[in-house]
Amino acid sequence: MKKINKEKLPALWERLADEAALYLPVEEDGVVNFAPWKEGAAVNLDVINTMVPPKHLVFPQSENYLRFHVEGSKLEIEPLDVDGPYVVFGARPCDVAGIAIIDKLFLDEPCDTLYKERRDNGTIISLGCNEPEETCFCTSFDLEPGFSPDADISTWDLGEYLLWEPRNEKGQALTAKLDDLLEAADSGAAQAVEKLRQDAASREAAVVREHGWEVQGVKEALEDKFDSEIWDEIYRRCLGCGVCTYLCPTCHCFDVQDYSKGQEGLRFRCWDSCMFGDFTLMAHGENPRPTQKERVRQRFMHKLLYYPSNFEVYACVGCGRCVRKCPVSIDITQVIKAAGGVE
Amino acid sequence: MKQLNEVIKEVAAQSLSRGEVDLVIGWKKGDLWWQSYPAFVEGDEGVADLIWDPFCVPNLSRYLLEELDDKSKVAIFVKGCDALGFNQLLQDKRVEREKVYLYGIPCDGLVDPRKLEAAGHKWLSEVRRDGDELVLVSKEGEQRVKARDFMYDKCLTCRYPNPVTYDQMLGEAVEAQPQERFAGVEELEKISDDERFEYWARQFSRCIRCFACRNVCPACSCRECIFDIPEPRWLGKAKELSEDQFYHIIRAYHVAGRCVDCGECTRVCPVDLPLQELNRKFIKDINELYGEYDAGVDPETEAPLVTYNTNDPAAFTES
Amino acid sequence: MTVLNPLLPQVAKIVKIKAETPTIKTYRVVMPDGSKPFEHIPGQCAMISVPPVGEALFSITSSPTQEEYMEFSIVKTGSVTNFLHEVEEGFEIGIRGPYGNGFPLESFKGKDILFIGGGIGLAPLRSLINYCLDKREEFGKIDIVYGARTPDDMIQKDEIFKIWPEAPDTEVHLTVDTEWEGWEGRVGFVPQCVEEICFSPENRIAVTCGPPIMIKFVLQGLDRLGFTPEQIVTTLELRMKCGVGKCGRCNIGDKYVCKDGPVFTYAQLLNMPPEY
Ligand code: SF4
Ligand code: SF4
Ligand code: SF4
Ligand code: SF4
Ligand code: FES
Repeated sequence: MKKINKEKLPALWERLADEAALYLPVEEDGVVNFAPWKEGAAVNLDVINTMVPPKHLVFPQSENYLRFHVEGSKLEIEPLDVDGPYVVFGARPCDVAGIAIIDKLFLDEPCDTLYKERRDNGTIISLGCNEPEETCFCTSFDLEPGFSPDADISTWDLGEYLLWEPRNEKGQALTAKLDDLLEAADSGAAQAVEKLRQDAASREAAVVREHGWEVQGVKEALEDKFDSEIWDEIYRRCLGCGVCTYLCPTCHCFDVQDYSKGQEGLRFRCWDSCMFGDFTLMAHGENPRPTQKERVRQRFMHKLLYYPSNFEVYACVGCGRCVRKCPVSIDITQVIKAAGGVE
Repeated sequence: MKQLNEVIKEVAAQSLSRGEVDLVIGWKKGDLWWQSYPAFVEGDEGVADLIWDPFCVPNLSRYLLEELDDKSKVAIFVKGCDALGFNQLLQDKRVEREKVYLYGIPCDGLVDPRKLEAAGHKWLSEVRRDGDELVLVSKEGEQRVKARDFMYDKCLTCRYPNPVTYDQMLGEAVEAQPQERFAGVEELEKISDDERFEYWARQFSRCIRCFACRNVCPACSCRECIFDIPEPRWLGKAKELSEDQFYHIIRAYHVAGRCVDCGECTRVCPVDLPLQELNRKFIKDINELYGEYDAGVDPETEAPLVTYNTNDPAAFTES
Repeated sequence: MTVLNPLLPQVAKIVKIKAETPTIKTYRVVMPDGSKPFEHIPGQCAMISVPPVGEALFSITSSPTQEEYMEFSIVKTGSVTNFLHEVEEGFEIGIRGPYGNGFPLESFKGKDILFIGGGIGLAPLRSLINYCLDKREEFGKIDIVYGARTPDDMIQKDEIFKIWPEAPDTEVHLTVDTEWEGWEGRVGFVPQCVEEICFSPENRIAVTCGPPIMIKFVLQGLDRLGFTPEQIVTTLELRMKCGVGKCGRCNIGDKYVCKDGPVFTYAQLLNMPPEY
């Protein structure tokens, strides 16, 4: 395990930015989001949930992937290169878990090589949470606020120092390049991390218990709830805005569109959402999910039943963004409760 | 406030049991202290869940668009800003007045949970209004703070806290204490064109195009929004600044002269775009060019952008 | 070695266009070197691109036994199809695929097969029908029930009127919705026709494609005739974008129709949320 004095972080960022494009939580106009590092950037490592999760770094909101040229009846198609190496610094464990969840779908056969290439180009440095936010419930999904098993490098904020632990070869390779900036951590460090992890997890678990936000058995409970009246109650206030899906670190639905100027054009994929009315609208005007009720049901069933049926993991990491950001408080924990898990 | 919290249950129960309305739309409480959300009550069961507290911010009138499709009469609670939005729906001929019963709520300003959080007031169990103060209840006990310090910005500038239209008023009128609402616009007017362009470009580029700002807006009630038409697709789906700008300029123009300045767009924006400033720039320009006009105050007055006067200034065509 | 991005189309060429009805055309497609774009199983689909209009998924209507080219019968219903209806022979398009599971051929072997199609629903069936006819000895009796609004709305007229009726141990039953001048065949809706002929479920598989409303009544009719849900096979049509189970658009329950379908037995459909 290594450590770095927090005063040296700007030097570290500068070095990382030399190695690759560096993204980290930056505050601009009062909003903290993952943004490219620039000298003097207002890096904010205190905010737990950035407004938008860093999923857009592995799965951009829109991503051009081919260029076409049309001339009369002739067509040329040329694939575009994926951006080069990058480093994500300060990703919270839930957001890293979100990426690991999306990996399951995109890397499953047939592998989405566009995603894979971008994913492989990135090195993710996580930052453990010392304490949860009021809307955090990652422990419900067997995740730990203080630890991110899927990151390439884990870090923890111990006040004066940031502890640093590479978790795999990619992480070790990057760590080796930073040798002069990192110091060896003493034996107490491991204990301090252990304590931080336990404290954070038990504090959050207590809150989760108090609110009844445990997820145990929800998948099984939802198996016969397609026609349940729980959807009648919950959907009615929905504005169909898609905030809950765009800000969700696990949502991964996309649309494919063309953009053209004269004979040249680009094809791109861009985020889409099952909460939008046109998501399933067919060319001849029929829509298998005609009202917001079916759409709200799809969102929750997909996260809590369909995705786990296919990939053995819930498509929710309990980051609480949708809980916080839905303008009318349609809150996944309400569905979890209404579904009622088995003990 | 406590009282009003009881009154709303009574009136809702009454209207429903007498069969005067098929549905009452009010608010109910979620698990977390700041969650007060729209509730749809059709029978006695739901009435007890209805609440009024400092977080009942969502405007309920937009739900009328859908709910009135299959109901003959619906009752909703309206705060001052909600009543303006309701009037705008009337003026735009999207709802029929006779099909709606309005319980008016004189509103002394609602609380922005994020302002409380920013000041370190977290992990609360309840927040109550008591006169000019808020009582913050947590496991550690109670704490009193000044309500005005934590109100939504839109509430600080509110000029119509008492509903301008209602069928039944549920409390004593409150006194409006509006701060100057164009202060933000004036700040932006002072900076250079380039700086202002850069400012808005930075804001717009944060937009994730969720359309929450449109979906919540009482002036955005078109049956088919231009941004939703699949063919031709006016607004590209690419996350490009030019598309972001296109969306925001068109949205602002489409609500110009009809925006009631309720601030809902700004509240719901998940990435904090200061849309109210943009809307207010339009309001301010309209006021300056065509005379003071407050959309939503009186659905019978003619709106300046849809009336023509030979002596109207030609500011849009003059260079 | 780099695996290709599954969303990346290859350039292909439309070499022949046949107008089937006023709103349906059949397109013959080959690669620029004249070869067939790729191998497929009956029931599978391909994504066809016409930049800058976009992409859409179509079932491959030619049989895999056709080694020279691939064919698609396309109805004019949206931006991509409207555009395709305007192009001429020689036009280049993008193509990627094959997508989907295709018909479960193994389970059809040795059985009698009853094809039930309506309108454009013949397109996916045709791939399988010609496959079965080319491998005649592997399958039992073949019956084809096909209907359209009017005789003019029928597609693949050469095959339905001439070629298939003459194939060994094969019967073609054509029907139109209402009386039509010059039409001497059956009149009535497809589901009715199926019940009238009274097909026995004995050792028989029913494969049906067509408008949802037709399928609904066909299923009821087959049920009355004694067919079990396992004996009935159909295809689903949904809005698709990626074709490879990634974009989420065609997700129904734990299935992605583009990848796990579009072919499902009725028994499978009964276990899925009814969102199609
Ligand atoms: S569903 Fe909500 S809480 Fe769960 S990961 Fe997505 S945004 Fe976070
Ligand atoms: S189906 Fe809906 S909930 Fe599931 S990943 Fe897609 S957008 Fe998210
Ligand atoms: S954020 Fe809330 S209102 Fe918006 S689509 Fe999601 S559930 Fe509906
Ligand atoms: S609510 Fe905010 S993020 Fe959503 S479309 Fe409006 S401005 Fe953009
Ligand atoms: S079309 Fe994209 S998942 Fe099926």
